[in-house]
Amino acid sequence: MPSTRTRPIERFAKATAKCSAEAAAYGKCVVADYNAVHKDMCAKEFMRLKDCFLAASKKV
Amino acid sequence: MSLPRLLRPLVRSHIPTPTASSPTTAHLPSVPTRSCIARRTYAMQTPGNPVMEIFNRRVKHLQKDRAAQNVEESRKTDYIKDEVARRLCERLLDIKRDFPQVLDLGANSCNIARALTTPLPDEGSPTGQAEPLASRISHLTCIDTSSALLNRDIDQPFNRALPITRQVVPDLETLPYAENSFDAVLSSLSIHWINDLPSLLAQVNHILKPDAPFIAAMFGGDTLFELRTSLQLADLERRGGVSPHVSPLADVRDVGGLLNKAGFKMLTIDVEDIVVEFPDTFSLMADLQAMGESNAILHREMGPLGREVLLANEAIYRELHMEEGARGIPATFRLIYMIGWKEGAGQAQPLERGSGQLNLKDILGGGSFEQK
Repeated sequence: MPSTRTRPIERFAKATAKCSAEAAAYGKCVVADYNAVHKDMCAKEFMRLKDCFLAASKKV
Repeated sequence: MSLPRLLRPLVRSHIPTPTASSPTTAHLPSVPTRSCIARRTYAMQTPGNPVMEIFNRRVKHLQKDRAAQNVEESRKTDYIKDEVARRLCERLLDIKRDFPQVLDLGANSCNIARALTTPLPDEGSPTGQAEPLASRISHLTCIDTSSALLNRDIDQPFNRALPITRQVVPDLETLPYAENSFDAVLSSLSIHWINDLPSLLAQVNHILKPDAPFIAAMFGGDTLFELRTSLQLADLERRGGVSPHVSPLADVRDVGGLLNKAGFKMLTIDVEDIVVEFPDTFSLMADLQAMGESNAILHREMGPLGREVLLANEAIYRELHMEEGARGIPATFRLIYMIGWKEGAGQAQPLERGSGQLNLKDILGGGSFEQK
């Protein structure tokens, strides 16, 4: 039975795709020193990514 | 409450005392009594090998069942399993023999049966196609734990090209077959979920007829290393610790030792990487789920991944593993193919070390290291 409903994960993916610039910034921050990652090392970048994601997911 | 009453649950055999102070004991049936000295107080272990439990079998069963409920998605995500089953069956071409009884151990949706019945390309024959491998097999027994997945394709045309018996077993780790019952055991992408691999391999060796092959493919070592590393980093950065998301897998180096220990001879082991491109990590994880291959580690964190970790993982995966100019993210599946033979009379034996008469360099050519 093909369902027309979009799965939550698909909506999640769509919203994330709209924030590629913020995602790249966060990714670079983590990968820059990936042998010594600790909690909230890139909190600032992540909050930017999250804000962008939240704004984008409202539109989807 | 009297003292004997308090003690009763602790001391298993209560010695009835013929006193009036304990009326309950009067009408109790006389039980054979054992003195307290014979009670075991030392630590003891159940006989046999200690049972290694890494994966939750019940969870794995549920995941396979659920994945197969959605027939369309499940068929769509069979690409890895079909491809590996095809490559596995190609190895049967090298064995010039008929197989009356074959077992497919952990059949998933009978991908091996489908691969066996597919005609093979052959330029020599007039039709351009050779007989499918199934013509050399009289009977195939497919076993798996999930009935929904096993019976998913029961009405497909390939079922008519080969006599197949589907059998649902409660547990893949104990095989319900007698000694010397199969002419070959095949297994494709299933035994990476087995807890006690040494025991299973020994059982496979047991149910094989003498001089019969065991041919298997399993996920190994570096499978999904991209997902493993990026999830670790995302977990670390967001939550300050890691929890296992990708299964521990056997390494190529271990497989030889495992087969040897189980009593297999003339081993052939080779490795192959299949890299699949996905648009994003979400579709990778959704596909893994639809394959019934999601996380089933016993000590995993319950519940789905947090949204923050998912979001962080997507960003880190892209940054760490995506190649310049690629359309999607790569996911590596490392396949270990193994062939082992049960010991039998008249089997080819390796020659003794140092007994070679010819220098391979004379035949194959090639220079020494110094000449370059």
